[in-house]
Amino acid sequence: MIIGTVGAKTIEGVNNMGRFARFAWQSMIASFRSSISPCTYPLIWTQMNIIGVRSVPVVMITGAFVGMTLAVQAYDQLAGMGLEEHLGVLINISVVKELGPVLAAVMLAGRIGGALTAELGTMNVTEQIDAVRSMGTDPVRYLAAPRVLACLLLTPVLIIYADLMGIIGGYFVSVVQLGINSRAYWDFSASGVELWDVSIGIIKGLFFGVAIAVISCYKGFTCKEGAHGVGQACTEAFVASFISILALDFALAVIFKAIYNTFWQIKSLV
Amino acid sequence: MKQQNKGKNTNTKNGDGIIVLKNVIKKFSAKIVLENISLAIEKGKTTVVIGPSGCGKTVLIKHLILLLRPTSGEVYFKGQRIDNLNEGQLNQIRTHYGFLFQGGALFDSLSVTENITFPIRQHCETPDWNQVGELVKSKLAMVGLDGFQNYYPANLSGGQRKRVALARAIALNPEVILYDEPTTGLDPIRSDVINELILKLQRELNVTSVVVTHDMTSAYKVADRIIMLHKGKIIADGDADFIRNHPHPIVQHFIKGQVSDDDLAVLRMSGTMSQAQFLPRDFEQDL
Repeated sequence: MIIGTVGAKTIEGVNNMGRFARFAWQSMIASFRSSISPCTYPLIWTQMNIIGVRSVPVVMITGAFVGMTLAVQAYDQLAGMGLEEHLGVLINISVVKELGPVLAAVMLAGRIGGALTAELGTMNVTEQIDAVRSMGTDPVRYLAAPRVLACLLLTPVLIIYADLMGIIGGYFVSVVQLGINSRAYWDFSASGVELWDVSIGIIKGLFFGVAIAVISCYKGFTCKEGAHGVGQACTEAFVASFISILALDFALAVIFKAIYNTFWQIKSLV
Repeated sequence: MKQQNKGKNTNTKNGDGIIVLKNVIKKFSAKIVLENISLAIEKGKTTVVIGPSGCGKTVLIKHLILLLRPTSGEVYFKGQRIDNLNEGQLNQIRTHYGFLFQGGALFDSLSVTENITFPIRQHCETPDWNQVGELVKSKLAMVGLDGFQNYYPANLSGGQRKRVALARAIALNPEVILYDEPTTGLDPIRSDVINELILKLQRELNVTSVVVTHDMTSAYKVADRIIMLHKGKIIADGDADFIRNHPHPIVQHFIKGQVSDDDLAVLRMSGTMSQAQFLPRDFEQDL
């Protein structure tokens, strides 16, 4: 009985993984085709407006609070060692390399991922996706590809906004509130934060964006009937996106560290 | 069972219809929804599929356009086997079909015009937009809704939504139109409007129509041929008179809208209302 249940769950899990991998592959192919087909640009433009432009405020607020909180938390530790002027490098490297991209992506997973899953899930249960297919159109290309492309292109841009606000927020608390010398703050920041660090955060955004879009579209396309089915799909989409952001962040950190160590020497921040 | 009743048995199981199903079986997990279905849809005729809720009617109609693929068996369109085609190849075949979904399945975010031009925009690289505007007008005029071009689905009634969906279904001048419960949820007059539209499209466009319904008034009005499904099997297949006089009790119960004696007995045996009933005197003590 137990063995049978475990076996059935395992088979179901493997089936779901296979279906997701197939959907992700189809989405990638469809996105590539859409990117070179001008007639799909209006669809992509619409999604860029919904996904990107409307997410700017929430992502900027997230970034600002991340920078400000880091400044408040780290100041006492560094001041105890007489290193408070190094606060800028600590805040800015944390923001651009790690916290900015990850927290901005988590916010996007909540804001965009839930909306994408709910929209596509409702289309699924009201047979609108079947209607797309019945008219000889590939729903992955028509519905998923513009959303994947919009997330792919705009998540890095949103991360730049989050980084910018994180840097400004950290500066505000450190210099204006805690009284750290402004010149020293920026000098140490400039010496510690490299273009590589900023690039890592932005490149991570490409992966996070694709993960959020593909997972959310998949959950929408495969959601079960009824309001409960759509609600459950939205929850699953957010949880799966969140976990994949953290897993991708870890994997990318390992890969980028290996690349950096191959070409440059590790340097101390203080 | 040999049929000795009036009317004509139009069963053309493995004939040369425009759409042919051969030994189609559809299972969802362990549940068999279609059980060895073989039928040929005749070109230029209206075939109505009737049957109680949950008998597999919608699953059957979705197999005709391969929105669902059979677990086993074969599907042919104009002599070409299509159940083994990939989605890209099927998309070309599907442009010959129009599908009216039960709820209309209009795209909420698009206006009536955008809904109707959707298939045109998808399949024509550089459409002439003046001609497209005329086409939208003519398709809406066919369903009696000219002037509704700029409305959104949320602003339309149930009947209007179905008529717009019908206009969208005929946008590419299909050879086959599939109707999934076209009159469900509509009042009798709106239902009759839809029936008249089905007849009008049949007459003017000479299309092949397949209608899934459990509305017998609609079935008798539009059908050249009626097929009755029961538990995934075809139990009756013929013209309206053939079905009216069919001796099978399930067919007779269904077309007359009568519950069978067995089902009635089950209902009478099940729990009575009295145990859960509250009478005014139950509350009098509290007053």
